[in-house]
Amino acid sequence: MSVKIYKINEDLKEFMPQEVIDLEEKATWGNPKRGVMDLPYTKELIEEHSLCAGCPESAAFRYILASLPDPENTIIVNSTGCTSLVFPHIAVHTVHSLFGNQNAVASGIKRVLEWRFPDQVKDVVVLAGDGATIDIGLDCTLQSFFRQEKITTICFDNEVYANTGGQDSGSTPRGMEFKMAPGGKQWDKVPMWQLAIDSGCHYVARLTVSSPKKVEQVIKKAIYVAREVGPTYVHLYTPCVLELGLNSDQGLWEMRERDKERFKFFEYMTPEAEEVIKRKKEEGLL
Amino acid sequence: MSQKVQTEKVRYNRMGQRIVSPDYLLFEAPRTKHFITGSEAVKEAAKRASVDASISYPITPQSEAAHMLGELWREGYIGVYFRGESEFGVMSAIAGCAMAGARTLTTTSGPGTLRAMENFPMWAGSRLPIQLVLMARGINSPLSIQPDNLEISFLLDTGCMVWHAETAQELFDMIIAGFVVAEQPDVHVPLITAIDGFFISHTREAVYLPPEDIALPPYDPYKAPMPVIDMEVPPGRFMRDPFVMKSNYISYATHASWQFEVRAAIERSRPYAKHYLRGLVEHFGDPEGEILFIASGTAAAQAKEATQILIHEEGIKARVLRIKTLRPFPTEEVREAVKGAKYIFIPEFNVVGWLEREVKRALYGYSDIPIFGTPRVGGGMTMPPEFIVQEVLRIIGKEVKHVS
Amino acid sequence: MSQPVRRRINVRMPAIGGQGAVSAAHIMATAADHAGYYAVSNPFYGAEKRMAPSESYVRIGIEPIYDRGEVVYPDVIMVFHSQVITMGKSYTMPFYSGIKKNGLIIINAEEDLLSDEDKAFLEERNVRIFTFSATKFALEHAGTELATNMAMVGAFFGITQIAGMESIEEGIKARFLKKFVVSGGTASLDSAIERKFKKKLELIEKNVATARAAYEFALAWAKEQGIEPWLPKPEEALQRV
Repeated sequence: MSVKIYKINEDLKEFMPQEVIDLEEKATWGNPKRGVMDLPYTKELIEEHSLCAGCPESAAFRYILASLPDPENTIIVNSTGCTSLVFPHIAVHTVHSLFGNQNAVASGIKRVLEWRFPDQVKDVVVLAGDGATIDIGLDCTLQSFFRQEKITTICFDNEVYANTGGQDSGSTPRGMEFKMAPGGKQWDKVPMWQLAIDSGCHYVARLTVSSPKKVEQVIKKAIYVAREVGPTYVHLYTPCVLELGLNSDQGLWEMRERDKERFKFFEYMTPEAEEVIKRKKEEGLL
Repeated sequence: MSQKVQTEKVRYNRMGQRIVSPDYLLFEAPRTKHFITGSEAVKEAAKRASVDASISYPITPQSEAAHMLGELWREGYIGVYFRGESEFGVMSAIAGCAMAGARTLTTTSGPGTLRAMENFPMWAGSRLPIQLVLMARGINSPLSIQPDNLEISFLLDTGCMVWHAETAQELFDMIIAGFVVAEQPDVHVPLITAIDGFFISHTREAVYLPPEDIALPPYDPYKAPMPVIDMEVPPGRFMRDPFVMKSNYISYATHASWQFEVRAAIERSRPYAKHYLRGLVEHFGDPEGEILFIASGTAAAQAKEATQILIHEEGIKARVLRIKTLRPFPTEEVREAVKGAKYIFIPEFNVVGWLEREVKRALYGYSDIPIFGTPRVGGGMTMPPEFIVQEVLRIIGKEVKHVS
Repeated sequence: MSQPVRRRINVRMPAIGGQGAVSAAHIMATAADHAGYYAVSNPFYGAEKRMAPSESYVRIGIEPIYDRGEVVYPDVIMVFHSQVITMGKSYTMPFYSGIKKNGLIIINAEEDLLSDEDKAFLEERNVRIFTFSATKFALEHAGTELATNMAMVGAFFGITQIAGMESIEEGIKARFLKKFVVSGGTASLDSAIERKFKKKLELIEKNVATARAAYEFALAWAKEQGIEPWLPKPEEALQRV
């Protein structure tokens, strides 16, 4: 896509809101070296958000949108949940289809775009919560990995179905108590990152969102590998301050605690993925 | 699009087929006779329809048609093809293909339709002109692979157009016409082209086909009323977001007006469907027939045979009004056609009588001719014409002459 | 025994899976279509399994055919395998349920499989019975039992005399030369047959030879019985609707 699509008609410019003008003039289009360091100085691709104050998902969104190497050619496929509250506020193409079918929809989109635009880069990125990825969508998610679809799947794991009032999900750790698990969940947290590896993903990472720079690195690697090699998976811990009973400003602390235990940073890559990452580092893109 | 080559005023697609107008392809091109099954008719239609994407999943009786769409992909006629993980996954991926700007075709049957069900209103609400060829078969439980078409009743309110083909010939022509009608910018909703399973899919009959070196103009996604998701146009902000996130008031106002808009789009398809299908209904038999069968699909075919028995062997004037499109429903045509009839019979291949419901709704307040929702057969069993005739004669109080 | 003037022949072929009854139906319809008649053929089976009951149908006529599905009232019944009768592997019991007056039954068997009751019932309805060993014809002319269905096809046309060997050959060629989709199970069986015959043409040749031998044999029987062609020639047929 040419960024010229975002060009405002000169005659109407005086009537446009400032944020739309900023989107044309001050956003970091056309520069794959963009990243979280641009955040204080440029127009972000997200305009406010309607999540709870202090929600770590909002931070994750900002870091991810700042890190997309080619946002003018990126499509994000979303699913129902807290993440879908944010999508109306994003300045790239997004698709919210049904609950759990995000990887199937993404497969269709990616294959057709590759066929319609064989000489262009079109990144298809899935962004969905733990319920959508691991429970209701497990089938479609893993099958897209088996088929080696060239898409990046990002899971926002808050270990609960938050948007519907707080029910346990497959990603909830054993013993944690939520509305449909009175007395605590009776079975273990699903190691989705391991399932991703076993299902054929070429680059897999697990981390919290406590470090913006780390998130940027991981997202860029995942997208570059998906472009050339095959499916990639990023599992992010974005705790729900509401369901955990934390104050709005305690999200960062909660993530830093888990950095030391069940969300310790973990990265996996196949030799093919490693080759791509090495090359991108040499090109100064990572 | 990257697949076309311009040579003066003649255009060719990537397979070297000459692009012709839909009118030429459907009505003017010379046709030759082939002896093929309904499944093969699907392949022949897709071959001439510049289809971009198709995704398959196995279920009887649509698998053979699905295999052949895969062959078209291997031959280069279809750009994207793969086997999905379930009908739910397939129909979701098909939505993705359409959102990205492809002309899409897929197939399913019975339990597969129900597995995919969540996707159909999603397609309609997202204004995706996807074509689904539905080969009706019984729904569990218990299990029957035979052509029971009860599943059609579940689809009538999804916001998709629904057409019902009687023969392999009609299936061929409907698939081609279907893309043209569904992709009109003022229509742009999904189309379900239904047949009664095995009666068409695996039956071999004479079908007249135009040459295979011509094809429909390709789909132009930039004429769609909703922006295509390919990052070549600015992103649209509607129906790909859940509105409830902004406010309940916005949510229900949008939802309600959107639902009306989808149904209005189906209404707007009427003149196009009339043109490309040569009418939304077909008249058969004695125009003065007092026995009127109103039917669709294979039930209409059986009614045609029954009509001939009534006329030639029982000396009773009979006729058939065959309904081709269920959505939009040909209400005016039905009201007009019943004039002069003394009895209306509605034979169906399902136990609930969904066509009877549709017809009664259309005729309420317009006609007091007695309507009999019979015969109805379930499980996909055959409906012999002799059986229809016996039912008719029993009800009108006549003696049966022709069958010993 | 006078013969009625027919407008249509409805054929029902009860068989066992793997016998080629489905292919036979399609070949017969293709041949009839080639000869200028209206024709429709369709199978009916459950699981695609060897030795399970399956049935196929052919309808041939001088005017458009709208009827679909099973043939409940057949004019002709063709029994491909004796187990249909002896083991009741049939969708109808007895296998000749619904047979119309002046009908015809062709049975592939070495011996007489009908009971006295059967014969009395059928004779009362003026139904002719032609029992012959199609399997023997197949073994003799094609070297394999898999060509039994070709002999049955030949016998049908020999007795009804509505199409000649030229049309039958067209039907057989269409079955094996074009990409002819019958069913998934049949497609797998095809590769088993192809392994037996190196070239497709050799296969077709052998099948045509089998059909021809049975055709001539059955035609001789028909002439002996005073049977005239079952349908008027397509050119002579008058449309009534």
